[in-house]
Amino acid sequence: MHKKIIYLTPFAILFLLLALLAYELFYSDYKNLESPLIGKPLPPFHLETIFSEKKIFSEKDLVKGPLLLTVWATWCYSCELEHDMLMKIRDQYHVPIYSILYKDDVNKVKVWLLNKGNPFILSGNDKNGDTAMDLGVYGTPETFVINAQQKIIYRHVGMIDQTVWEKTLYPLLQKNGLSA
Amino acid sequence: MRTWVGFLLLIWFSNIWAQDIYPFASNQDAKHFTALTQEVRCVVCQNQTIADSNAPLALDLRKKIHAMLLANKTDAEIKSYLVERYGEFILFQPAFNKLTLILWLFPFLAIGIIILYFSAKLTKR
Repeated sequence: MHKKIIYLTPFAILFLLLALLAYELFYSDYKNLESPLIGKPLPPFHLETIFSEKKIFSEKDLVKGPLLLTVWATWCYSCELEHDMLMKIRDQYHVPIYSILYKDDVNKVKVWLLNKGNPFILSGNDKNGDTAMDLGVYGTPETFVINAQQKIIYRHVGMIDQTVWEKTLYPLLQKNGLSA
Repeated sequence: MRTWVGFLLLIWFSNIWAQDIYPFASNQDAKHFTALTQEVRCVVCQNQTIADSNAPLALDLRKKIHAMLLANKTDAEIKSYLVERYGEFILFQPAFNKLTLILWLFPFLAIGIIILYFSAKLTKR
């Protein structure tokens, strides 16, 4: 009996290791990196606006949170899929949404917002991606949830769909004082 | 003869272009830059270094590191700049700290346990 256990131990360890590797291989969300900025104040930025009478968009222009700040581009396919959802979030849930355009063409952005509607209070033009680098953005769209103290409390990488909104973002915004 | 001259000129020009992308004052600085960019992960294409990758973000990070080196920033400053924004994951060789404690100590712990186990067995005999 005692010997059996000793012989079986390596197999048990191997099995556990394989199970762990299989889990990481098939189930881990490796593309979704956790941002080191969570819990930190939103880094300051200073951008020219697009599609607004105001000239400059900086962190001082944000209303008191909770709010969403999304980094996107017209050349980004998932941003196109996400756009209607952002319109819905503004219209039905009245969440303030701001945006930063990552390396985009101002004219294309204007045409886009004219045709599809503009869900954003202000949009800043991050021509060479410096602000995006300060935010640790590695793929558009990325959406940051900012609280009333102007701290980043969450980052979502990828498009926002109904599921992400209902399961993650909306509860988080409510918990942080979103008035219904 | 003419083709030969053309060929040599081509080599000469391509050499100029090859050196022009990230200019440094000395060869040593250029080597330093290459070594440093090979330690930084391209977070978009996760198993490539930013030195290898052609992803736009890798290009931006190379530019940023180049600018920081020209501004006489140290390696530690550059690395902490990157980690503050993209997380520990961006470095291929993670720093030794609270977060990475288990990662670094686990192999030694495992070896230690195995040695203890076998030495206990031997003394029993």
